[in-house]
Amino acid sequence: MLVPSSGTGQYAALSAKIIRFVRHGCTNRPFFHIVVAERRREQFEPVIEQVGSYDPMPNERNEKLVSLNLERIAYWLGNGADCTKPVQELLGLSGFLPIHPLSYMAAWKNRQVAEAAVVEEKPEGDHK
Amino acid sequence: MSVFRHFSRKLVLNTFKSDIKLQINTHCSVCLRFLSYQPIHYDGKPDPGPVFIKKEVQTLLRTLTRVDLAKVFKKRRFGETQLQQPVYKFMTDEQLQEAYEEAKKKVDTFLQIPPVVAVRKPKDKVLSKDPALQGLDTSAFVFTDISYGVRDSERMILVRETDGTLREADWETRDRINQLYFPVAQRQIQTPKMFQDSNLEDLLKRGEYNFILDRACLQFDPNDPLYQKIVSITYQCVNDNNHFNELRSTRHFGSFVFFLAWNKLIDNLLLDIIESEHIEEAKALVELYSHIHQVKYESKENLQQIDEYIKNHASKKAALELAFQAYKNAAKRKGEVEEGIKRAHGLS
Repeated sequence: MLVPSSGTGQYAALSAKIIRFVRHGCTNRPFFHIVVAERRREQFEPVIEQVGSYDPMPNERNEKLVSLNLERIAYWLGNGADCTKPVQELLGLSGFLPIHPLSYMAAWKNRQVAEAAVVEEKPEGDHK
Repeated sequence: MSVFRHFSRKLVLNTFKSDIKLQINTHCSVCLRFLSYQPIHYDGKPDPGPVFIKKEVQTLLRTLTRVDLAKVFKKRRFGETQLQQPVYKFMTDEQLQEAYEEAKKKVDTFLQIPPVVAVRKPKDKVLSKDPALQGLDTSAFVFTDISYGVRDSERMILVRETDGTLREADWETRDRINQLYFPVAQRQIQTPKMFQDSNLEDLLKRGEYNFILDRACLQFDPNDPLYQKIVSITYQCVNDNNHFNELRSTRHFGSFVFFLAWNKLIDNLLLDIIESEHIEEAKALVELYSHIHQVKYESKENLQQIDEYIKNHASKKAALELAFQAYKNAAKRKGEVEEGIKRAHGLS
C-alpha cells in the first residue's frame, strides 16, 4: 500500500514525536522533506505529517529554498514534539526559533579556515 | 540612398494591414523603430483605486466597451484542441429570450475589467542583523511560510543573506516563490521573453494587442511596475494608431479608457466615437473625464457638455469641433427627414 509522502495523519497518542529530515530526491541529488514522525520509526516508514521541505542544492540565483508550515510546526512543538539539530538550525536561521549555537560555531570555524588560507597565501607570495 | 529609401518604404507599407490608413512623410528616411513610447505608471498621487471602483465609473466603462455578444462569445482557437463541439437546439421565442438573458449574465464574468491600482513600492524591511553568522554558507536561504489559508500578498517570505541579515524578500522574489509553491495555471516563474522590449515592439507592430494584454493579466499582478509599463505602452500604441476596435467588447477596453482619461489622452477616442455617430458613448466619455479630474460642466445637457469639453479641455480642438459640427448637422438633417416622413404619413 503506497502512502503519500505528505503523511498519514495517524499516530499513537503517547508516542514520542520528532520533527526531522527525510531524504528524498535521487542519487547525488538530495531533497529533504521536513516531517513530523514517531521517533522510533525508520526513516522511510510512513510519517504523521509533512511540514516543509529543504533543498540543499542552491538554485540559479544561489538560493537554498526552504518551506515551513509554521502553523503546524507550532502545533506539534506545543504538543511535545522534539526537533533534530539540523531542523533546529533551519528554524533558527528562519527566525522562528533563536539561532542555534551550532550555526554560530560552524560560521566561526569557516571564518577561521578562510583566514588561515589567506595567511598561508601571503608568506608564499612574499617569498616569491 | 534614394534606392534604400524606396525599398525601406515599400517594406514598411507592405507590413501593415490594408485597412489601416498610414501617413508616412515621403521626404524623411523611414524610421523602422516604433517603440518610442514612455511607460506611464499610476504613481499613487492621487490614488486611482478609489476612483476606479466607483459604481458610476464602472457603468460608464461598461457603456464605452460597446458589448457585442457575437464578439464576446466568438470561437477562440487554443492551439489545435477544440474545446467543445457546438450544440444546436430548437427553441421557442421565450426560450431564446431566456438564453439571451443567461448569456448576458455570463458577459459580466467575461468582461471583468482588470483592476487599476497604484504601482507598488519596493520592499526593504530588515528583521534582524547577525554578523556572527557571516561565513556559515555561500548561498542565501529563502524561507517561505506555507501555512494554509494565507493570501499570496500576505505570505511570509524571508531571506537570510550570507552576511547574516534576515530581511523580507523583495517583490520579484515574492512573485517567483509564490508561483513556485502555489502555482497559478499558465503563469511562468521567469518573466516570459515576449515582454522584453524588442519582442514587445514586434508584437505591437503586428497589432497583437489582445494577446499582449491577456498574457500580461495572467502573468502579473495589477500593482506590478512591469505590468503597468507593458500595459501603458500597449495602450499608447493602440491610441496613436486608432485601433480601438481591436479592444472593443473585450475586458481590456475598460482599463484602456480609464488610462486615457487619467492621462488626458481621450481626444483620438472621442473623435473616433463622434465620427462613427455613437453619441451615447461620447457623452459617457466626457462624463468619465469629469469624474476623474473633478471637472464640473456648467450645462446639464449632454451634447452641450461635449461642446464644453471640446472648448475647454481638448487638445485636438479643431478636428473635434469639425467632427462634432458635422454630426450635429447630420443629426439635424436626419431629424428633418423623419419629420417630413411623419407628415407625409399624416402622423403629426
